[in-house]
Amino acid sequence: MQAVFRLHKVTKRYGTREVLNVEDLAIPGHKIYTFLGPNGSGKTTLLRIIALLHKNTTGKVEVLGEEVVWSKEQTLRLRRQMAMVTQTSFMFEGSVSANVAYGLKVRGHKGNEVKRRVEEVLDLVGMTSFIKNDTRGLSGGERQKVAIARALAVKPKVLFLDEPTANIDPRSSLEIEKYIKIVNEELNTTIIIVTHNLFQARRLADQIHFMWDGKIIESGTSLEMFQSPQDKRTRLFLVGDAVY
Amino acid sequence: MEIIIDGLKQGFQLIWSLDPEILQITLVSLQVSLTALLLAGIMGIPTGAALALKDIRGKRAILNIIYTFMGLPPVLAGLIVYLALTTRGPLGQYQLLFTPTAMIIAQLLLAFPIVAGLTARSVMSQQQEVYDTAVTLGASLRQAAWTIIKESRIGIIAALTTALGRVIAEVGAVMMVGGNIQGSTRVLTTSIVLETRMGNDSRAIAIGIILLAIAFGIIMIINTVEKRSFKYASGIQIT
Repeated sequence: MQAVFRLHKVTKRYGTREVLNVEDLAIPGHKIYTFLGPNGSGKTTLLRIIALLHKNTTGKVEVLGEEVVWSKEQTLRLRRQMAMVTQTSFMFEGSVSANVAYGLKVRGHKGNEVKRRVEEVLDLVGMTSFIKNDTRGLSGGERQKVAIARALAVKPKVLFLDEPTANIDPRSSLEIEKYIKIVNEELNTTIIIVTHNLFQARRLADQIHFMWDGKIIESGTSLEMFQSPQDKRTRLFLVGDAVY
Repeated sequence: MEIIIDGLKQGFQLIWSLDPEILQITLVSLQVSLTALLLAGIMGIPTGAALALKDIRGKRAILNIIYTFMGLPPVLAGLIVYLALTTRGPLGQYQLLFTPTAMIIAQLLLAFPIVAGLTARSVMSQQQEVYDTAVTLGASLRQAAWTIIKESRIGIIAALTTALGRVIAEVGAVMMVGGNIQGSTRVLTTSIVLETRMGNDSRAIAIGIILLAIAFGIIMIINTVEKRSFKYASGIQIT
């Protein structure tokens, strides 16, 4: 089966400390996949490995059908088919427009083509009126919307979202979730979300992988995971977090 | 106090009358210090950025040497260049001693470590997320490095202005390798020393005012060129 991502016996160690140990994982693509788990469970590490930001210590990683060999050429080629939005998206100094155009410019696009695409994606996330604004004046929610637009500008096959709404208010979170859905459904982009927000996972995910102590301990559809979790630790996490 | 006020009055009169000798000295000063700064920028910015971004063997030792040379006393810089350029020195054959070129080399020796060291610090202080954001948006390693350098531009401008302040105000190095020759290697700082020794306080004050005005003017130009950086710089608001 062709998968967007495939991991086999993948580990990541910092010194003697093992922070990730994934036996086998295949992500078919085109849906919304969520890695859920408490802080320190290894979800961001896993995300950064498949996003080609961190090298795995052992094991085999396949991205977009290719075994990752970490050559400069391959890393750049694969990275250019993906994009990422993090918890506190970094904005380059300058305007919203310059930030959204960044990915296009490093790919060699110029002039009207860039302008048109920037306007298109800003319109998609409802930020057209901010096009000339300096990014320093943006609120947390606005920054995240610009970050999503910036990622979408390059038409990625895969969009990684690392706790995309962790620092923003519920109303903005819901708005961002709406755009994530649109991106997945209308642009057919594979979405990989890392979160510890149960409700967000429930609202967005087609498939959930629950992580604990560096391992994926349970996987299933959103319905399966929330209605009948099999692992005791998953149940504990779901109950514990429900307090919030 | 009276001597200072008189000196200031006469100083402004000298400036206003465009005294030819002061004008010539000012031009030599600008030529020497700006050339030294330009060369220090050309060499120092890439060196500092490379030290910050690349995994070079002995990087820490190199940085420590650069940081040490940031505090190099101007007379010592002058002595080093003097020994290199004197007729018995390794570069003696080029007969550069007591020329503006020798002064540029001496000021370069003072400015380079400042530009390279402060650029390295500024680039190193950029967070990992600048690099991560750049590469996840499809930047190559070279493009990501350039982005990090661009994001460090306020620090790099600070490095250049600090270096300029250092070279334009120093007297020891240019005195040693330039010789303070009238019409050739006499610059503003060496003139101040000379005029004060000769009791020409008003001329010394006039030259001092020009020196300050030049430093201020150049820094204003640099700030204007990079106006956006300063405009958008996130300042700390204390209430």
